[in-house]
Amino acid sequence: MTTRHTSARPASSPGRRLRRVVAPVAAALPVAGLAVGSVLPAAASARPHAGGTINVGVIGPMTGPAAEIGTLMSAACQSGIYVVNKAGGVLGSKLSCDLVDDTGDPADAVPNVTRALATTSNLKMAVGLESNTAATTIPIVNNAQIPMFSTNGLVAFDKTTDQYFWRTTPADNQNGAAFAVWAVHEGYKRAAMVFQNNIGAQGNEPGVVQGIDHLGGKISINLTIPGDAASYSSVVERTIASHPQVVIVEADPQTAATFFSEYKQLNHGNVPPIVTGTDSLTPDYLSAMEKVLGKTYVTKDISLVGSHIQPGTLAYNTYKAALFSSPTVKNPSLVLGVGVISSIYDGIVAMSLAMDMARSTTGSVYNKDIVKVTSQSPGAVVVHTYARGLAELNAHKTIDYVGVEGQISFDKYHNSPGNFSASAFNADGSPRTLGTIAGSEVQKLLG
Amino acid sequence: MKLLIEAIGFGIATGAVIALGAVGFSVQFGISNVLNITYGSMMTLAAFVGYAFLQLNLNVWLVMAVTSVIVAVASVVFNRLLLEPLKRRGTSFVGVIIATVSAGIVLQYVIVAFVGATAHSFGQQSGRTVSALDFVFTTSQLIIIGTTVVLMVGLHVLLTGTKIGRAMRATSTNRTVARACGIRTERIIDFTWLLSGALCGAAGVALAITTVSFDFTLGSSFLIYMIAAAVLGGIGQPYGAMVGGLVVGIASQIAGAYWSPAYQDVIAFVILIIMLLVRPRGLFSTGTANRRLANA
Repeated sequence: MTTRHTSARPASSPGRRLRRVVAPVAAALPVAGLAVGSVLPAAASARPHAGGTINVGVIGPMTGPAAEIGTLMSAACQSGIYVVNKAGGVLGSKLSCDLVDDTGDPADAVPNVTRALATTSNLKMAVGLESNTAATTIPIVNNAQIPMFSTNGLVAFDKTTDQYFWRTTPADNQNGAAFAVWAVHEGYKRAAMVFQNNIGAQGNEPGVVQGIDHLGGKISINLTIPGDAASYSSVVERTIASHPQVVIVEADPQTAATFFSEYKQLNHGNVPPIVTGTDSLTPDYLSAMEKVLGKTYVTKDISLVGSHIQPGTLAYNTYKAALFSSPTVKNPSLVLGVGVISSIYDGIVAMSLAMDMARSTTGSVYNKDIVKVTSQSPGAVVVHTYARGLAELNAHKTIDYVGVEGQISFDKYHNSPGNFSASAFNADGSPRTLGTIAGSEVQKLLG
Repeated sequence: MKLLIEAIGFGIATGAVIALGAVGFSVQFGISNVLNITYGSMMTLAAFVGYAFLQLNLNVWLVMAVTSVIVAVASVVFNRLLLEPLKRRGTSFVGVIIATVSAGIVLQYVIVAFVGATAHSFGQQSGRTVSALDFVFTTSQLIIIGTTVVLMVGLHVLLTGTKIGRAMRATSTNRTVARACGIRTERIIDFTWLLSGALCGAAGVALAITTVSFDFTLGSSFLIYMIAAAVLGGIGQPYGAMVGGLVVGIASQIAGAYWSPAYQDVIAFVILIIMLLVRPRGLFSTGTANRRLANA
């Protein structure tokens, strides 16, 4: 059960956004040079009223270079609605995922999200809202009084006053600090930092710097690179000259492939180990890097650090079963390994339970119950599944939903960052866990 | 000093790809008087056509040659079916530009419909590294530079030493007078689109090899660099586009080596702005093409 709000504009990387800003100044020329990468948003297509259905808005990049993230978000939503619907739905209504394409570009995100909110009937919860567009989309959803579970990593939302905003994933600076912890844990004291010039990647940078510094390591070079350039040879040469033991990097697949291809060429076939984020745990990234660095390298020397999920728990097994049962989810093994994506599943379960508790699907009514169904409190029954939570609520019990990411503990700003883990690619592209990093250790580094 | 020499070397490699595309773009404009923004999407098409042939385990350079032929034919068809009818109906210069912008977007989406929005890769086609006098090149880069040089020399010979070349230049200067002199300008235009399409195809494959990984935005995101190179050299001037490509490529690599790499791409636009302010006709322009732009 999925509907889709499509965008007419090919998604653009920050590099392309930069070009769109600079180019008009650059010439009386080609209106065009710019417009090739962009068109005006298409006219809105109103969706028919979906009577008896509660729509979950999945707001993310469904097209363009970041489309893999949208695919992951959609899969997590499918798994969430699967378990809720299997247990009878929410207050007699079934859930449905409604894909809203923000293209990863705020210029597209604003009209597309506004249109979706205006034309989608019964849109009662939202998930996704990742870093590249979060600053523009979250206020829109918040103003519509729709509770949302965001996967964005912007530090700005650490102390947000948006009352409908909820986040069970860490801010990017915490992610960055976790990169540093893992690199040092692996014995690398001299790290090169290479981050693409987009919001998501740049958010990690301060955490890495702070983390490496506090852990007694040394940053050999710290570079920001544009996305999708034809060549990074000069930058690569500077990186090699700094003699790093490890490269901590955040870049899209195209950018990373070009960069490390040139690294290998210019460094006599040698590339040091890479630490990057779990948002790179995608087939695109694997495919691009495998062709450049070989299968052995990508399975042994790339560590992907991000939100931790604990395999083997009841919540995890339920999530896993839902992913594998949903016919629309492709490559469920991969989705399973991306911790940040499981927060969408947890979010849908938590919001559904909050609706059940409030006996209302109205955001302004059930929003306050989200914290109630996820808090440790005396007498609260710990539940790991929607079905069990619903049963306990029907029995007039207080519940504490402990999800795939473990115990949720929201602060007053609705943030619950949790722990971290490092993963690696298996040869078939599925992830394997290398180790875990306590959230408290990361918090300590950031002071 | 070593870093500077290396950066110049890297810049020549990047510039060769830009020049390859920019020359085709510039020739197309200079002779057929169309600022064809679909050119970027045609490069993307070339990359994906090349990728398809690569799956047949063909040699990558053979793939480049075959793809060039296919894109050359596609360019002629595109001109015949869309642009010439528009021009016959008296569509303005700007109107034709808008049509090419629109066609470029349509082509992008057709590509997405067939291959999806995800990234593809030619794989590790770069070969071993060759070093000399602090210059470092991969064999792929050397072949691309060599191909560019050969094609540029060939183009020079064609334009200056052959009958069809002289006819192209005459058509470029004044189509009406050329026709009055007995030149079959329609055929010359067709040949120009065939030639520029072939260069576009070669540039698309060369760019895909260089970037290793690419998606449907490959050509359109690169188009602005080719435009910068073409404007720098004097739009409509193939020799100018060659030099422009090298200047843009070298400048961006030197910027990456000595300045923040985050701004290495900005240098192309800075050069473009300075050139438009100081010498709007470009380095090599005789003024004909720019007069056309001004009169549009």
